[in-house]
Amino acid sequence: MTAEAEPSADTASPAASAEGAVAHADAASDFPSIELSGIVQEYPTPDGKTLRVLDGVDLTLDRPGITMLLGPSGCGKSTLLRMMGGVRPTGVQTPTKGTVRIGGKPCDGPHEDAVMVFQRYANRPDLSIHENVALPFRFSMWKKRVPRSEVKTRVRDILAAVGLGDKHDLRPAQLSGGQNQRVALARALVLRPRILLMDEPFGALDAQTREEMQLLLGKLLVENPCVVVFVTHDVSEALVLGDRVLVLSASPAKIVDDIALDEPRPRSTAWLMSSAIVDVKDRVLERLHESRTHGQVRLSF
Amino acid sequence: MWNPYQQLSGTQRRLLGFGSLGVVLLAWGLLTGLGVVRPARLPAPWAVGSAFLRLAWDPEKGESPLLDHTLMSLTRIVVAGVLVVVIGLPIGILMGASPRINAVLSPLVDPFRSAPVVSLLPILVIWLGIGETMKVAFLFLGAVVFLIPMVRDAIVSVPEAHWISARDLGATPWETIWHAVVPIAKPRIADAITVSVSIMWTYITVAEYVNAQVGLGALIQNARRFSAMDQVLVGIAVIIALALVTHAAMRALKKRLYPWEVEV
Ligand SMILES: Nc1ncnc2c1ncn2[C@@H]1O[C@H](COP(=O)(O)OP(=O)(O)OP(=O)(O)O)[C@@H](O)[C@H]1O
Ligand SMILES: [Mg+2]
Repeated sequence: MTAEAEPSADTASPAASAEGAVAHADAASDFPSIELSGIVQEYPTPDGKTLRVLDGVDLTLDRPGITMLLGPSGCGKSTLLRMMGGVRPTGVQTPTKGTVRIGGKPCDGPHEDAVMVFQRYANRPDLSIHENVALPFRFSMWKKRVPRSEVKTRVRDILAAVGLGDKHDLRPAQLSGGQNQRVALARALVLRPRILLMDEPFGALDAQTREEMQLLLGKLLVENPCVVVFVTHDVSEALVLGDRVLVLSASPAKIVDDIALDEPRPRSTAWLMSSAIVDVKDRVLERLHESRTHGQVRLSF
Repeated sequence: MWNPYQQLSGTQRRLLGFGSLGVVLLAWGLLTGLGVVRPARLPAPWAVGSAFLRLAWDPEKGESPLLDHTLMSLTRIVVAGVLVVVIGLPIGILMGASPRINAVLSPLVDPFRSAPVVSLLPILVIWLGIGETMKVAFLFLGAVVFLIPMVRDAIVSVPEAHWISARDLGATPWETIWHAVVPIAKPRIADAITVSVSIMWTYITVAEYVNAQVGLGALIQNARRFSAMDQVLVGIAVIIALALVTHAAMRALKKRLYPWEVEV
């Protein structure tokens, strides 16, 4: 019910742990913490200069639940998100400065517990839905970790959970955009990641489908709690899903606001329309506007 | 009439297609039948027809010279085709998968697409002699310089999202190429192979130009020497027919193998 403005987000209430995706305090220790300190990221531009995208980001995530990354277009959200899964090659040195620690250990490669989901769902058109979800188990990393006998039941369970239990043998072309995004989500969750990084996963969906997917995600995370970082530039989506909302300024990005929301999901319209939340929304919008980027934040109520 | 997206029915298309062929045949028949053109320059359609029958079955020897020629050419194309695929396909995939490998190999391959491959024939004769090796090598070279860039382009055209997604699911770079990129490029790779085979059919006469006793190219070459224009035309017609049949067969095979392909 509360929306606080403290930079730290340690406000998980008992109500939230019962219903929402925020798991109990003792479960938190099962999840690797993500610590970013002094992160600076620069990219070379075509005209030979350097573009500073992230400018001294310090951030700690140490409990399961959804952290929303909200910021204007092009501010460096994706750049920051990728770092939370360890260090992933992008062709340039990442990060330029600063350290990424996951589970207390410094990272120099992609972290094994982190899995990403994108807006572009990239399902293989030649494989069935079942085979698409089972695809990661063809990679040596997962082949080693998960016995073959377990793959089939895992895929069956997760497809049922995302509501595609009757679509095993269809091909991606036979599904809608929303259903395809469910396949991508299932392919990530089937790996039982402890860190799930989502880069505007529902950005390409129509409003109604997006709402369905938000509900589904909330539900799935109750069953499979993990540390979720979710990038969006939709303020409403941040308020519907986030246990914590981080607001980034325009490039070079800094964290300009850090809001904890401990209302369990699914969140009622009444809560979303309550004056406290409307105030939060106004404040976030103001922050985004302060960073002098106009017309880049999508508002949908 | 002027609507590029108009759908013609099958019958309509066939009627128009055979109609235009018919008009040409008729004009050919009239020109030769009425003696406007001398048979030594252009034999009449029926003369070509009877030449075909004579070549198709030689009752004295009890064999079919045309079949022998065809099988010989076919064998050369199959051998060269297998080599083109076995050698060209991996090179094309590697070039598509790695801009570095592409940068190294592309200057060695791409220029040959516009090189006069025919003028390499004398060099091949000097290097490899006048036997089968030279003929197969020529067909191979002519086709592989087209196959490699087409396979590379097929790989490169796979949307990057597939690559990123597999990498982020923990695939090694090579697993990513193999499980997320190559499968999606397969229909276009199949197209590349089909085109390469068509190219080999156009080069078969050149390959069999030097010292060939048997083969459709040899048939044409020898008939030309004896000014048997009707036989020359039979040879050309058979090559065109075989090229069309292989093309259609490969298209049909591709449709069966990759029914999921979305036409772009
Ligand atoms: N690998 C790269 N090389 C060079 N520049 C890059 C690279 N990745 C990102 N950038 C630049 O860094 C800036 C931030 O990119 P990023 O993708 O992190 O932003 P974003 O907030 O996710 O944007 P969007 O809302 O459009 O998804 C952009 O200006 C982009 O052009
Ligand atoms: Mg982005």
